[in-house]
Amino acid sequence: MNRRDFVALSSGAAVSLALPNARAASAGATTVLFGDRSVTLDKTRPGAPPNELWVRAADLPRINDFTVKPQGACREDVCIPIPKELKNGEWFNLTGFARRAGETVVNEENVWSFGEIPIMGGKYLNNRQAPDFAAPDRTGKIVHLSDFRGKKVLLFTWASW
Amino acid sequence: MKDQNFIVIAAAQDTGGEAAAGKWYDQAKATYITLVDSQHAVSSAFQFVNVPTGVWIDERGRVVRPAEPAWTTNQTMKFGAKSISTEGEEYVAGLRDWVKNGDRSVFALSDQEFARRVKPRSSAEMEADASFKLAVYFYGAGAKELAAKYWHRAQQLNPDDWNYARQEWSFTPAEAGKNWMEKFQKLDQAYYPKLDMPAPAKEAPKEPPKPQL
Repeated sequence: MNRRDFVALSSGAAVSLALPNARAASAGATTVLFGDRSVTLDKTRPGAPPNELWVRAADLPRINDFTVKPQGACREDVCIPIPKELKNGEWFNLTGFARRAGETVVNEENVWSFGEIPIMGGKYLNNRQAPDFAAPDRTGKIVHLSDFRGKKVLLFTWASW
Repeated sequence: MKDQNFIVIAAAQDTGGEAAAGKWYDQAKATYITLVDSQHAVSSAFQFVNVPTGVWIDERGRVVRPAEPAWTTNQTMKFGAKSISTEGEEYVAGLRDWVKNGDRSVFALSDQEFARRVKPRSSAEMEADASFKLAVYFYGAGAKELAAKYWHRAQQLNPDDWNYARQEWSFTPAEAGKNWMEKFQKLDQAYYPKLDMPAPAKEAPKEPPKPQL
Protein backbone atom coordinates (compact mmCIF):
# COMPACT_ATOMS: atom_id res chain seq x y z
CA MET A 1 0.00 0.00 0.00
CA ASN A 2 1.19 3.45 -0.74
CA ARG A 3 2.32 5.32 2.33
CA ARG A 4 -0.04 8.21 1.70
CA ASP A 5 -3.05 5.88 1.51
CA PHE A 6 -1.88 4.22 4.68
CA VAL A 7 -1.70 7.54 6.46
CA ALA A 8 -5.19 8.43 5.25
CA LEU A 9 -6.61 5.15 6.49
CA SER A 10 -4.77 4.96 9.77
CA SER A 11 -5.23 8.50 10.96
CA GLY A 12 -8.20 9.51 13.04
CA ALA A 13 -8.32 13.05 11.68
CA ALA A 14 -8.87 14.25 8.16
CA VAL A 15 -6.10 13.97 5.62
CA SER A 16 -6.99 14.88 2.09
CA LEU A 17 -5.50 16.14 -1.08
CA ALA A 18 -5.78 19.90 -1.21
CA LEU A 19 -8.79 19.83 -3.52
CA PRO A 20 -10.59 23.10 -4.12
CA ASN A 21 -13.52 21.94 -2.02
CA ALA A 22 -11.34 21.17 0.97
CA ARG A 23 -12.31 23.17 4.03
CA ALA A 24 -11.18 23.23 7.59
CA ALA A 25 -13.48 20.91 9.48
CA SER A 26 -14.49 23.58 11.96
CA ALA A 27 -13.88 27.25 12.58
CA GLY A 28 -11.26 26.58 15.25
CA ALA A 29 -9.28 24.08 13.16
CA THR A 30 -5.92 24.78 11.59
CA THR A 31 -5.08 23.70 8.05
CA VAL A 32 -1.55 22.86 6.95
CA LEU A 33 -0.72 22.67 3.24
CA PHE A 34 2.38 20.77 2.21
CA GLY A 35 3.13 19.27 -1.20
CA ASP A 36 -0.16 17.89 -2.50
CA ARG A 37 -1.62 17.51 0.99
CA SER A 38 -4.04 19.49 3.07
CA VAL A 39 -4.09 18.38 6.69
CA THR A 40 -6.68 19.62 9.16
CA LEU A 41 -5.53 19.79 12.78
CA ASP A 42 -8.12 20.11 15.49
CA LYS A 43 -5.46 20.75 18.14
CA THR A 44 -2.51 23.12 18.03
CA ARG A 45 -0.60 24.55 21.00
CA PRO A 46 -2.72 27.20 22.70
CA GLY A 47 -1.11 30.55 23.39
CA ALA A 48 1.73 30.17 20.86
CA PRO A 49 3.02 33.46 19.36
CA PRO A 50 1.00 34.39 16.22
CA ASN A 51 3.95 33.73 13.88
CA GLU A 52 4.55 30.25 15.27
CA LEU A 53 2.63 27.06 14.65
CA TRP A 54 3.08 24.33 17.25
CA VAL A 55 1.52 20.99 16.37
CA ARG A 56 1.35 17.70 18.22
CA ALA A 57 4.50 15.76 17.46
CA ALA A 58 2.17 12.85 16.78
CA ASP A 59 0.65 14.82 13.86
CA LEU A 60 3.99 15.43 12.15
CA PRO A 61 4.02 12.24 10.01
CA ARG A 62 0.74 13.05 8.32
CA ILE A 63 1.83 16.64 7.77
CA ASN A 64 5.15 15.99 6.05
CA ASP A 65 6.19 12.34 6.63
CA PHE A 66 8.74 13.34 9.30
CA THR A 67 8.76 11.60 12.69
CA VAL A 68 10.19 13.07 15.88
CA LYS A 69 12.91 10.76 17.20
CA PRO A 70 15.63 11.20 19.83
CA GLN A 71 18.17 12.10 17.10
CA GLY A 72 15.90 14.68 15.45
CA ALA A 73 13.04 14.88 12.98
CA CYS A 74 13.55 12.04 10.52
CA ARG A 75 12.17 10.95 7.18
CA GLU A 76 13.58 8.05 5.21
CA ASP A 77 17.36 8.41 5.50
CA VAL A 78 17.31 12.08 6.52
CA CYS A 79 17.39 13.31 10.12
CA ILE A 80 17.34 17.01 10.97
CA PRO A 81 18.58 17.65 14.53
CA ILE A 82 15.98 19.46 16.62
CA PRO A 83 17.10 21.86 19.36
CA LYS A 84 15.30 21.48 22.69
CA GLU A 85 13.41 24.75 22.35
CA LEU A 86 11.45 23.43 19.37
CA LYS A 87 9.84 20.78 21.58
CA ASN A 88 7.59 21.13 24.58
CA GLY A 89 5.81 18.08 25.93
CA GLU A 90 3.51 16.79 23.20
CA TRP A 91 4.08 19.91 21.09
CA PHE A 92 6.47 20.47 18.21
CA ASN A 93 7.31 23.87 16.70
CA LEU A 94 6.52 23.29 13.02
CA THR A 95 7.45 26.79 11.88
CA GLY A 96 10.71 26.61 13.83
CA PHE A 97 11.44 23.31 12.14
CA ALA A 98 10.65 24.88 8.77
CA ARG A 99 13.15 27.67 9.39
CA ARG A 100 15.81 25.13 10.26
CA ALA A 101 15.03 23.10 7.15
CA GLY A 102 15.01 26.17 4.87
CA GLU A 103 11.33 25.66 4.17
CA THR A 104 9.16 28.65 3.22
CA VAL A 105 6.07 29.33 5.32
CA VAL A 106 3.16 31.47 4.17
CA ASN A 107 0.38 32.00 6.69
CA GLU A 108 -3.03 33.63 6.43
CA GLU A 109 -5.70 33.25 9.09
CA ASN A 110 -5.63 29.61 10.22
CA VAL A 111 -4.07 28.25 7.05
CA TRP A 112 -0.32 27.58 6.85
CA SER A 113 1.27 26.77 3.52
CA PHE A 114 4.73 25.20 3.61
CA GLY A 115 7.11 25.15 0.64
CA GLU A 116 9.31 22.27 -0.33
CA ILE A 117 12.00 21.03 2.07
CA PRO A 118 15.22 21.73 0.16
CA ILE A 119 17.14 18.77 1.59
CA MET A 120 14.41 16.38 0.37
CA GLY A 121 14.66 17.83 -3.16
CA GLY A 122 18.09 16.25 -3.54
CA LYS A 123 16.52 13.04 -4.71
CA TYR A 124 15.33 14.79 -7.83
CA LEU A 125 18.17 17.27 -8.27
CA ASN A 126 21.02 14.85 -7.58
CA ASN A 127 19.60 11.39 -8.21
CA ARG A 128 17.01 12.22 -10.88
CA GLN A 129 14.34 10.40 -8.87
CA ALA A 130 10.92 11.60 -10.04
CA PRO A 131 9.07 13.27 -7.16
CA ASP A 132 5.89 11.36 -6.44
CA PHE A 133 2.63 13.27 -6.54
CA ALA A 134 -1.02 12.41 -6.19
CA ALA A 135 -3.86 13.87 -8.24
CA PRO A 136 -7.39 12.72 -8.96
CA ASP A 137 -8.43 11.31 -12.32
CA ARG A 138 -11.74 12.33 -13.91
CA THR A 139 -13.71 9.98 -11.68
CA GLY A 140 -12.03 11.31 -8.53
CA LYS A 141 -9.82 8.27 -8.05
CA ILE A 142 -6.45 9.30 -6.66
CA VAL A 143 -3.57 8.46 -8.99
CA HIS A 144 0.05 8.38 -7.81
CA LEU A 145 2.94 8.60 -10.20
CA SER A 146 4.50 5.69 -8.29
CA ASP A 147 1.57 3.48 -9.42
CA PHE A 148 3.31 3.25 -12.80
CA ARG A 149 6.73 2.07 -11.67
CA GLY A 150 7.97 -0.51 -14.18
CA LYS A 151 6.67 1.43 -17.17
CA LYS A 152 8.06 4.25 -19.23
CA VAL A 153 5.96 7.36 -18.66
CA LEU A 154 5.35 10.53 -20.59
CA LEU A 155 3.81 12.92 -18.07
CA PHE A 156 2.58 16.16 -19.56
CA THR A 157 0.49 19.10 -18.45
CA TRP A 158 -2.08 21.12 -20.35
CA ALA A 159 -4.87 23.46 -19.30
CA SER A 160 -8.26 24.67 -20.47
CA TRP A 161 -7.33 28.32 -19.96
CA MET B 1 3.46 3.06 -29.06
CA LYS B 2 0.91 1.09 -27.05
CA ASP B 3 2.43 -2.33 -26.45
CA GLN B 4 5.88 -1.14 -25.44
CA ASN B 5 5.28 -0.86 -21.72
CA PHE B 6 4.78 2.85 -22.15
CA ILE B 7 2.00 5.04 -20.80
CA VAL B 8 0.95 8.64 -21.20
CA ILE B 9 -0.41 10.67 -18.30
CA ALA B 10 -2.07 14.00 -19.02
CA ALA B 11 -2.56 16.37 -16.10
CA ALA B 12 -4.92 19.31 -16.58
CA GLN B 13 -3.60 22.22 -14.54
CA ASP B 14 -7.08 23.51 -13.83
CA THR B 15 -8.18 24.84 -10.47
CA GLY B 16 -11.68 24.85 -12.01
CA GLY B 17 -11.51 21.03 -11.90
CA GLU B 18 -13.46 18.63 -14.08
CA ALA B 19 -15.93 21.38 -14.98
CA ALA B 20 -13.11 23.28 -16.70
CA ALA B 21 -11.04 20.41 -18.08
CA GLY B 22 -13.51 17.59 -18.73
CA LYS B 23 -14.98 18.67 -22.05
CA TRP B 24 -11.52 18.99 -23.57
CA TYR B 25 -10.70 15.43 -22.58
CA ASP B 26 -14.05 14.37 -24.10
CA GLN B 27 -13.31 16.22 -27.32
CA ALA B 28 -9.87 14.68 -27.58
CA LYS B 29 -11.42 11.23 -26.99
CA ALA B 30 -8.51 10.71 -24.63
CA THR B 31 -7.25 7.13 -24.38
CA TYR B 32 -4.42 7.98 -21.99
CA ILE B 33 -4.58 8.54 -18.23
CA THR B 34 -6.43 11.78 -17.64
CA LEU B 35 -5.85 13.70 -14.40
CA VAL B 36 -7.62 16.79 -13.16
CA ASP B 37 -4.86 18.47 -11.20
CA SER B 38 -6.70 21.39 -9.67
CA GLN B 39 -3.81 22.38 -7.41
CA HIS B 40 -1.11 22.13 -10.10
CA ALA B 41 0.65 19.38 -8.14
CA VAL B 42 2.51 18.18 -11.24
CA SER B 43 3.82 21.64 -12.13
CA SER B 44 4.82 22.16 -8.53
CA ALA B 45 6.65 18.84 -8.25
CA PHE B 46 8.56 19.19 -11.53
CA GLN B 47 9.02 22.98 -11.66
CA PHE B 48 6.86 23.47 -14.76
CA VAL B 49 6.03 27.10 -15.58
CA ASN B 50 3.88 26.79 -18.69
CA VAL B 51 1.68 24.37 -20.60
CA PRO B 52 2.09 22.06 -22.32
CA THR B 53 5.18 20.81 -20.51
CA GLY B 54 6.35 17.21 -20.27
CA VAL B 55 8.83 14.95 -18.51
CA TRP B 56 9.91 11.45 -19.44
CA ILE B 57 10.23 8.97 -16.58
CA ASP B 58 11.78 5.54 -16.96
CA GLU B 59 10.80 2.16 -15.49
CA ARG B 60 12.80 2.85 -12.30
CA GLY B 61 11.14 6.19 -11.68
CA ARG B 62 14.16 8.11 -12.91
CA VAL B 63 13.65 11.30 -14.90
CA VAL B 64 15.10 10.88 -18.39
CA ARG B 65 14.28 14.38 -19.60
CA PRO B 66 13.11 17.19 -17.29
CA ALA B 67 10.65 19.96 -18.13
CA GLU B 68 10.38 20.96 -21.78
CA PRO B 69 7.57 22.03 -24.11
CA ALA B 70 5.47 18.97 -24.97
CA TRP B 71 3.77 19.73 -28.28
CA THR B 72 2.81 17.12 -30.85
CA THR B 73 2.67 19.30 -33.98
CA ASN B 74 4.72 22.04 -35.54
CA GLN B 75 3.02 25.36 -35.93
CA THR B 76 3.78 29.03 -35.80
CA MET B 77 1.20 31.33 -34.26
CA LYS B 78 1.45 35.07 -34.75
CA PHE B 79 0.40 37.42 -31.96
CA GLY B 80 0.87 41.06 -32.88
CA ALA B 81 4.51 41.66 -33.75
CA LYS B 82 5.67 38.41 -32.16
CA SER B 83 5.08 34.76 -32.74
CA ILE B 84 5.24 31.41 -31.01
CA SER B 85 6.62 28.33 -32.72
CA THR B 86 6.06 24.80 -31.51
CA GLU B 87 8.40 21.88 -32.15
CA GLY B 88 6.07 18.95 -31.73
CA GLU B 89 7.36 16.78 -34.53
CA GLU B 90 10.86 16.79 -33.08
CA TYR B 91 9.49 16.13 -29.60
CA VAL B 92 7.38 13.15 -30.66
CA ALA B 93 10.19 11.70 -32.79
CA GLY B 94 12.54 11.86 -29.81
CA LEU B 95 9.91 10.31 -27.56
CA ARG B 96 9.38 7.40 -29.97
CA ASP B 97 13.10 6.80 -30.10
CA TRP B 98 13.39 6.71 -26.32
CA VAL B 99 10.38 4.42 -25.92
CA LYS B 100 12.02 2.02 -28.35
CA ASN B 101 15.64 2.27 -27.21
CA GLY B 102 15.46 3.29 -23.55
CA ASP B 103 18.79 4.34 -22.03
CA ARG B 104 20.54 3.75 -25.34
CA SER B 105 18.46 6.48 -27.00
CA VAL B 106 20.38 9.65 -27.89
CA PHE B 107 17.43 11.49 -26.34
CA ALA B 108 18.10 10.06 -22.86
CA LEU B 109 20.05 12.82 -21.06
CA SER B 110 23.35 12.20 -19.31
CA ASP B 111 23.57 13.02 -15.60
CA GLN B 112 25.71 16.00 -16.48
CA GLU B 113 23.15 17.36 -18.91
CA PHE B 114 20.34 16.73 -16.42
CA ALA B 115 22.26 18.69 -13.76
CA ARG B 116 22.76 21.55 -16.22
CA ARG B 117 19.02 21.75 -16.84
CA VAL B 118 17.53 21.25 -13.38
CA LYS B 119 18.35 23.78 -10.68
CA PRO B 120 17.10 24.10 -7.10
CA ARG B 121 14.27 26.59 -6.70
CA SER B 122 15.27 30.04 -5.50
CA SER B 123 13.73 31.22 -2.22
CA ALA B 124 11.38 33.49 -4.20
CA GLU B 125 10.26 30.52 -6.30
CA MET B 126 9.66 28.43 -3.18
CA GLU B 127 7.59 31.21 -1.63
CA ALA B 128 5.66 31.64 -4.88
CA ASP B 129 4.87 27.92 -4.89
CA ALA B 130 3.62 28.02 -1.27
CA SER B 131 1.61 31.18 -2.03
CA PHE B 132 -0.05 29.63 -5.07
CA LYS B 133 -1.11 26.63 -2.99
CA LEU B 134 -2.62 28.97 -0.44
CA ALA B 135 -4.53 30.72 -3.25
CA VAL B 136 -5.89 27.40 -4.53
CA TYR B 137 -6.99 26.55 -1.01
CA PHE B 138 -8.78 29.86 -0.46
CA TYR B 139 -10.37 29.68 -3.90
CA GLY B 140 -11.80 26.27 -3.04
CA ALA B 141 -12.99 27.53 0.32
CA GLY B 142 -14.89 30.35 -1.39
CA ALA B 143 -12.61 33.07 0.03
CA LYS B 144 -12.13 34.84 -3.31
CA GLU B 145 -10.38 37.95 -1.95
CA LEU B 146 -7.80 35.97 -0.05
CA ALA B 147 -7.34 33.77 -3.10
CA ALA B 148 -6.69 36.86 -5.24
CA LYS B 149 -4.15 38.16 -2.71
CA TYR B 150 -2.08 34.99 -3.04
CA TRP B 151 -2.55 34.56 -6.82
CA HIS B 152 -0.97 38.00 -7.07
CA ARG B 153 1.79 37.27 -4.60
CA ALA B 154 2.77 34.12 -6.48
CA GLN B 155 2.97 36.08 -9.74
CA GLN B 156 5.04 38.87 -8.19
CA LEU B 157 7.47 36.39 -6.68
CA ASN B 158 7.81 34.34 -9.86
CA PRO B 159 6.82 36.41 -12.88
CA ASP B 160 8.26 33.79 -15.25
CA ASP B 161 5.55 31.32 -14.26
CA TRP B 162 2.76 31.52 -16.83
CA ASN B 163 0.70 28.88 -15.04
CA TYR B 164 0.24 31.18 -12.03
CA ALA B 165 -0.80 34.13 -14.17
CA ARG B 166 -3.04 32.29 -16.60
CA GLN B 167 -4.82 30.30 -13.90
CA GLU B 168 -5.81 33.54 -12.21
CA TRP B 169 -6.80 35.24 -15.45
CA SER B 170 -9.09 32.31 -16.27
CA PHE B 171 -11.47 33.49 -13.55
CA THR B 172 -12.11 36.74 -15.45
CA PRO B 173 -12.44 35.30 -18.98
CA ALA B 174 -13.36 38.62 -20.60
CA GLU B 175 -9.97 40.04 -19.61
CA ALA B 176 -7.84 36.93 -19.98
CA GLY B 177 -6.89 37.46 -23.64
CA LYS B 178 -5.87 41.07 -23.09
CA ASN B 179 -3.89 40.20 -19.97
CA TRP B 180 -2.05 37.45 -21.80
CA MET B 181 -1.26 39.65 -24.79
CA GLU B 182 0.17 42.44 -22.61
CA LYS B 183 2.45 40.10 -20.69
CA PHE B 184 3.44 38.25 -23.85
CA GLN B 185 4.36 41.41 -25.76
CA LYS B 186 6.61 42.56 -22.89
CA LEU B 187 8.37 39.21 -22.69
CA ASP B 188 12.11 39.44 -23.39
CA GLN B 189 12.65 35.69 -23.69
CA ALA B 190 11.05 32.90 -25.68
CA TYR B 191 7.54 31.95 -24.56
CA TYR B 192 8.56 28.32 -24.96
CA PRO B 193 12.27 27.55 -24.58
CA LYS B 194 13.70 25.99 -27.70
CA LEU B 195 13.77 22.20 -27.60
CA ASP B 196 17.33 21.21 -26.87
CA MET B 197 17.34 17.85 -28.66
CA PRO B 198 19.61 16.14 -31.15
CA ALA B 199 18.19 15.97 -34.66
CA PRO B 200 16.13 12.81 -35.11
CA ALA B 201 18.19 9.91 -36.45
CA LYS B 202 17.63 9.17 -40.11
CA GLU B 203 16.42 5.68 -41.00
CA ALA B 204 19.52 3.64 -41.73
CA PRO B 205 19.63 2.96 -45.47
CA LYS B 206 18.74 -0.62 -46.27
CA GLU B 207 21.71 -2.63 -47.37
CA PRO B 208 21.54 -3.55 -50.99
CA PRO B 209 20.96 -7.26 -51.54
CA LYS B 210 24.23 -9.12 -51.60
CA PRO B 211 25.12 -10.47 -55.01
CA GLN B 212 24.89 -14.24 -55.18
CA LEU B 213 28.36 -15.69 -55.57
